[in-house]
Amino acid sequence: MSGAPAQSMSTSAAPGAGRATARTPAPLTGFAPWKDPSKRPIVRFENVVKRFGDFVAVKDCTLDIYEREFFALLGPSGCGKTTLLRMLAGFEKPTSGRILVAGQDITELAPYERPVNMMFQSYALFPHMTVEQNIGFGLKQEGMPKDQIGQRVEEAMSMLELTRFGKRKPHQLSGGQQQRVALARAIAKKPRIVLLDEPLGALDKRLRQTAQFELMGIQERTGTTFIIVTHDQEEAMTVSSRIAVMDHGEFVQIATPGDIYEAPNSRYVANFIGDVNLLEGKVVKVSDGFAEIDWGGGLARFKAVAPEGCASDQTVWLALRPEKIHIDFDKPTDASNAVAGKVVDVGYLGSISHYHVELANGQRVKALRTNSSRLVDRPISWEDKVWLEWPPETGIVVTR
Amino acid sequence: MRRWLLIAVPYLWLVVFFLVPFFIVFKISLSDIATAIPPYTPTFDITDIGGFLSQLDFENYAFIAQDSLYVNAYFSALKIAAISTLITLLVAYPIAYGMARAPKEWQPTLVMLVILPFWTSFLIRVYAWIGILKKEGLLNMFLMNLGVISEPLTIMNTSTAVYIGIVYSYLPFMILPLYASLEKINPALLEAAADLGSPPWKAFWQVTFPLSLPGVLAGCFLVFIPATGEFVIPDLLGGSETLMIGKTLWGEFFANRDWPVSSAVAVVLLLVLVVPIVLFQRNQEKQREAAR
Repeated sequence: MSGAPAQSMSTSAAPGAGRATARTPAPLTGFAPWKDPSKRPIVRFENVVKRFGDFVAVKDCTLDIYEREFFALLGPSGCGKTTLLRMLAGFEKPTSGRILVAGQDITELAPYERPVNMMFQSYALFPHMTVEQNIGFGLKQEGMPKDQIGQRVEEAMSMLELTRFGKRKPHQLSGGQQQRVALARAIAKKPRIVLLDEPLGALDKRLRQTAQFELMGIQERTGTTFIIVTHDQEEAMTVSSRIAVMDHGEFVQIATPGDIYEAPNSRYVANFIGDVNLLEGKVVKVSDGFAEIDWGGGLARFKAVAPEGCASDQTVWLALRPEKIHIDFDKPTDASNAVAGKVVDVGYLGSISHYHVELANGQRVKALRTNSSRLVDRPISWEDKVWLEWPPETGIVVTR
Repeated sequence: MRRWLLIAVPYLWLVVFFLVPFFIVFKISLSDIATAIPPYTPTFDITDIGGFLSQLDFENYAFIAQDSLYVNAYFSALKIAAISTLITLLVAYPIAYGMARAPKEWQPTLVMLVILPFWTSFLIRVYAWIGILKKEGLLNMFLMNLGVISEPLTIMNTSTAVYIGIVYSYLPFMILPLYASLEKINPALLEAAADLGSPPWKAFWQVTFPLSLPGVLAGCFLVFIPATGEFVIPDLLGGSETLMIGKTLWGEFFANRDWPVSSAVAVVLLLVLVVPIVLFQRNQEKQREAAR
């Protein structure tokens, strides 16, 4: 204990360089305007607050979204993500703060004056109009000549494979077709920004996956900025360039899907995205960017990359993805983190197997193994004594 | 068997309370006036069907077709009904729109308030308008006290009074179907219209009004059809210059005691109204199909 302050000093002294290399880098896409200080955002939320009576839906949100981004607002229902989107569309007015599009303050503009188009969760297709009329509605408001409207509608319909349905009314279409009409209507005006409010929520799972890729394809082809609101983490991970994870009207983390998954900044984010083991422990000492953590119950201390501002005696959580844990019968040699346990549950999914392993302190850890070989001499089964091992850089220590 | 019974009940009802009375009226319209009880001849005689049938003719129909009084009364009634239907629509639409946009918890109360006048007899409510509209009535007193007018207005016993009476009496029949169709419109549709660049006043004509058309049609028929045959309102509020077929029919029946002619007037009125009634039924049918 006496050495604790000195240890924490050494953390702050140690530059983040060691940490950065220790972390698994996010998959690089080459597209990262948010890292380029010369780029100006197309959408900027500036200290935006929205109150409904006593309820604070959005708490002081500041966010920059860049051109051609596919930006996801992700969170459970009631986290304020839809309110944020509706404020950008103009259906709600911020209680305070400003919203800028391409540098222009649009906070006071009416919805019909804004350069954004929205795809509604309920699709909101006009039931008394045909598919063509629905898609051409926005163009008609601009006062575009009829033949040009026809051309643009044709273009949008062929992009979404709706050409055959042009003369139908919305109620004569399937859910998937209606969803495509709603999208076609939102992109027909070629707006700078397309807003998508749970666009695929009404589709079944299989259709949703195809629709996600279609959405990405359209976004790429049109080169438009898409902002999607969703509560489905898989959907957000699949489609977006960056994700803002929200909780109770605040951003918890704004990062690329890779960073969100591999470097969550809190238990909330780690839990919300994918499967995770959260192991609680106390920091014993910090050195060379690594923290030694005691998780009680007489188990061996484990080593993990120390987050910034991590000090001795602090309660922390190790977020460890199941697929990053190596599970085996034999005790690994010279592993920095190894712990023994008993298999209590096995889930065989074909391509992969899940294992629930109970440790000596009663804690349960999920591990995952790909079934790469077809036949195994002795598969891991119930009641087996196994060893879990993971390199120190695979887990992420979070302090909140 | 049970199915058959189920269908039989409404049909039996229609036969007993609509078809049979209609045939009685139709038969009277083919008879001649007589000083007797009942005041027409021939009366139905089961022993001499041939003789009975030979005495029936279309004389009364020829009579009302030739007399311009009846023809004018029909046209006047249709005109008054059409104009008052239009006025009722213009008055009812904003009310129904406001109701549909009101907070959800208020809407049942508002609907109740629209229906509330039905708790008082129709006749008494029309009588009450005499007290309001007459020379020394409430309206004139009010306007004169305000200094808006110096001489009392003559509204009572004019067609203006008839229009006021019809619009007032039939307003709920217009409001309720309008409200029902406006209330069903998904508010997201108006947001979508705004989002695509349509300001509210344009969005009303592009989205709200077309979607409320079934309600508009239903309301118009519900006002137009009974207003055409209306007799209480023109009788109580209207003057001698307000000609309506309902009033003529009433006079023919009770003042002249000419049952055959008044029956013929009634049958023709029914034929005149068959067209809007069929259109109304079609509109309802279409709505039901759209709902499915």
